Formats: sequence, structure tokens, C-alpha cells
Amino acid sequence: MMENSPSPLPERAIYGFVLYLASQFGFFLYCLWAFVPEEWLHLIGLTYWPQKYWALAVPIYLLVALTISLVILFGVNMNNTAPLDSVDNITDMYAQAQGTNSCHKGGIPRLKDVSISEVNKMFYLSPQAIKSRN
Amino acid sequence: MGDEAFTDINGKAISMDCHSHSGFCREFTVSSPKVSVGKVMVYTCCVWLLAYTVFFFTQNTAVLSSAILITLVGMMFHIHFVKVDHESLLVIGSLGIQVSSCYASGRETTTFIEMSKIKDIVINEAIYMHQIIYYLCVLLKDPAEPKAVSSVVPLFQSSKPRLNCLVKVYKSCQEILSKC
Repeated sequence: MMENSPSPLPERAIYGFVLYLASQFGFFLYCLWAFVPEEWLHLIGLTYWPQKYWALAVPIYLLVALTISLVILFGVNMNNTAPLDSVDNITDMYAQAQGTNSCHKGGIPRLKDVSISEVNKMFYLSPQAIKSRN
Repeated sequence: MGDEAFTDINGKAISMDCHSHSGFCREFTVSSPKVSVGKVMVYTCCVWLLAYTVFFFTQNTAVLSSAILITLVGMMFHIHFVKVDHESLLVIGSLGIQVSSCYASGRETTTFIEMSKIKDIVINEAIYMHQIIYYLCVLLKDPAEPKAVSSVVPLFQSSKPRLNCLVKVYKSCQEILSKC
């Protein structure tokens, strides 16, 4: 059973090259449609294409949407951050539902959240903290 | 405890004063720098120059008078509601704590929290805008459920001192809280 890895493989190189050729060809077709006058297209028989207005409008729309979405991403993140007076900065329902210690003798104690009061005592009140601060 | 160049999270200088009224009563006051005259003049000049430019193009005198009005009202609003002069925390063992903030116009808002509701006073780290800051907060508990934290009251919100100042306040508070 082959493991998935992101390393370069011959198949991936071929896929990449095909995609590159297809995208360059697609861009060439788009430029063709944008620059060739309408009458020539009508002469060949291609009549039902979108208005030339869209040749400019769609790229501009995409770029503006990209820029705005960047700003909105920042805004949404800041909006979802818990304010300083929220209990979510201290604990949550999983930490509160932990059981009290039930360690066997000599065994490794269970992994669980340490309450903020204990953490503070360890950081700021213990003699070791005083030594490391001076 | 004099000031040894404490700063707030942005680097502006603040001063902290710790007054021990008795063995179980201590008061900590953190003062922000006062409103500087230079800044006020710069802001006023900018607003008035802008108003004059608009007047120059529109020739409407209402622009000038409204700019003056806005500046005055804005300054009054700022010193009465926004600019905090000093914030203080008074801890009285076995009674409670009192948090008060005094604004630049002299207005003072005070909150008292009784000791039965207080679980602990801790220094917590949290995300604030684009950075992570240390802030001192009071953990409140519901007397019916003593093990759970019911709410959090952050202290020194307008001055936001840095960790060295907070550790001093924390150690002092813990001495009193552990006695009662």
C-alpha cells in the first residue's frame, strides 16, 4: 500500500505540464475573443458570444473580490476572537468536565488541563521563578 | 513601590503606585500620561485647515462653524468618556475588592466585588487585536458552584500595563488573598 507523499513524481510532472499547456491555450483563446472585432466573428459564423464588455469586467471583478476578501478575512477573524472579559480565555466545557485525579500508585498521572491559578503560582510565586527573574 | 519605568503594551510610559493602608488592605493605582497640549493643538489645526480648504472651494460658511462645533464637542466627549487619567484597584482582605477608573474630566466610575464572589486574581494571556498580551483579571465564581469560573473581570483595561507591572500587583494581591 503506497503511502501518500508530496514529493515530485513523473506522473505529477506530466499533469503539471498538461495543465500549463491547457491554461496557456485557454488564455490565447480568451485574448482572441477579446481582440477580434465582432464583424469578423459574425462572418465566420460565431454569433452567440457574450458582450465584449465582459472581457474587461470579469478580470476586474475577480481582482476586486480578491482584495476585499483579504480585508474581510482579517475582519472576520478579529470578530471571532474572544474578548478579554470572556470565560473562553480561561477555560471551556471540556476542561471543566475533567474528572478529579485517580492515579494509580507509581503510574504516570493522566494528562489534563492545569487551572490558571496553579499556573500563575508556578510562574510568578514560586521561589524558582524569583530566582530565574533576578 | 516607586515607578521603575513601567510601560503599557504599546511602549508608552505609565506609572504605578502601590499604597499599603494596613496589613490586609492595599491599593494599586496605575496612571496614564496626561493629554498633551501639543497633540491637541496639532489635531485642532489639522481639522481647521481641512475645514478651511473645504470652505475655500465651496464658499459655505456653515463648514467653518460646524468644524469649530465638532472640535469642541469632540474634545469634551473625549476627556469625559474616553481619556482615563488613572485606574485603581483596592484589595481589602476578607471584604472584597474595589475597581475604579477616573477620567480626565474628573468623572469616576467604581465597581465593588465582594470576597465571596471572587475565586482568584490571575494574570492571563489572550489575543488582543493582532498581538497576545498579559492582563490581570478577577475570576468570579457563583457561590452555589465554587469550583467553576462564572465570569471574568479584566483589570487596568485602559492603561494595559506590561508584565513587570502586573507581576508586582499579582504578588501583592496574592499575599492578601491567601491570608483570608
